[in-house]
Amino acid sequence: MKRRQAVAAIAGIGLSGGSLWVAQNGLPGTQSRGDEQFPVRIETLDARGSTAGETLVPTPGTVTVVDLFATWCAPCDEQLEILNAVYSEYDEVSFVSITNERPSETLTRGDIADWWNRNDGAWTVGLDPGSELLSAFGASGLPYIVITDADGTIRFSHSGIAEAATLRTQLDTLV
Amino acid sequence: MGAVGATGGIAGCLGSLGIGDSNTDVVLGEPDRQFDSSDVPYPAWGQRIPDVTLPAPVESREVNLRDVERASLLTFFYSHCNTVCPVLISTQRNVQAHAQNNGYASDVAFFPVTFDPARDTADRLQTYADEMNVDAAAENWHFLRPASADRAKDVVQDQFGVGFERTDPEEMDMYMFAHSALTLLVNADGFVERAYRSKSPDEETIIDGLETVRNA
Repeated sequence: MKRRQAVAAIAGIGLSGGSLWVAQNGLPGTQSRGDEQFPVRIETLDARGSTAGETLVPTPGTVTVVDLFATWCAPCDEQLEILNAVYSEYDEVSFVSITNERPSETLTRGDIADWWNRNDGAWTVGLDPGSELLSAFGASGLPYIVITDADGTIRFSHSGIAEAATLRTQLDTLV
Repeated sequence: MGAVGATGGIAGCLGSLGIGDSNTDVVLGEPDRQFDSSDVPYPAWGQRIPDVTLPAPVESREVNLRDVERASLLTFFYSHCNTVCPVLISTQRNVQAHAQNNGYASDVAFFPVTFDPARDTADRLQTYADEMNVDAAAENWHFLRPASADRAKDVVQDQFGVGFERTDPEEMDMYMFAHSALTLLVNADGFVERAYRSKSPDEETIIDGLETVRNA
């Protein structure tokens, strides 16, 4: 049953996503990061208003509404509906929705896109399979909304459903 | 559960004194923290998990948590919970997906333990798994359900140190629970490598710790 302490020291040398994250970002331990470590590059999905590829979050040089969701999260449907109403009123604001669900056999990229289309999503939707953004924003529940200004600084964050009036008030101060 | 490792005898104790945070029962070093494992109500770093056998209702069998013999993750939840639990379960689900995608599904096991046996029946747990996109049919996923509310108190609260208390919110037509959050990373010998107290435990930290523990 003896185990070598040295094993702990070589953690992170492997090739898994977790180790790669460690290699790029240092050992995890803090639950949130400073503004200087944004933006984060995420994979985007082929879905309504979204194309498969990559994007930076928040959108550089643009006021950005970041919506963290999950397909299992019932209030996230409602949050998307609220965001939809606000979206059409702010042409110059970037909207991006991100799930921390890791695609697998039980939940494929196609399943997530189906959820998105079913809930009338209309902008870029992406994946945060290591919950990196979730941790970076310090989000402890879903939905979770973050609004950043054009410099990428977080100006507003909200856990739970953010109402349209609240979002408009915040956005009106930034655009 | 304070004196884990004391059976190693004098030589073992002297060895431990030399390094400070060494414990031959665990792979990961002592976490950076301001307390000792014996100071907290839950099984923490270096301590053996309680000797508990619980029913796994979806699989119609029982599981002794000390006999698992692979690296495992335990957490404590109830399926009607709207806030903390779905995040805890979702984290386990995401680690399960990572294991399936990266070829180590048979080297890990997941044990979400409900403290609401009255509502969390086998059928309910299966439905919940589908809602959460959990592969509950996978041989590494095991919902555990204490047989009664009293047994849940005994196991979850008294032995695993996860306090929970029934509440009856006015705005809801059903009872809920106030409860604390705990995710345990346990090695194949049944010793706690990490006890994550966060309501949103960092998934990459868990995956990384799990990788070290399962490769030891």
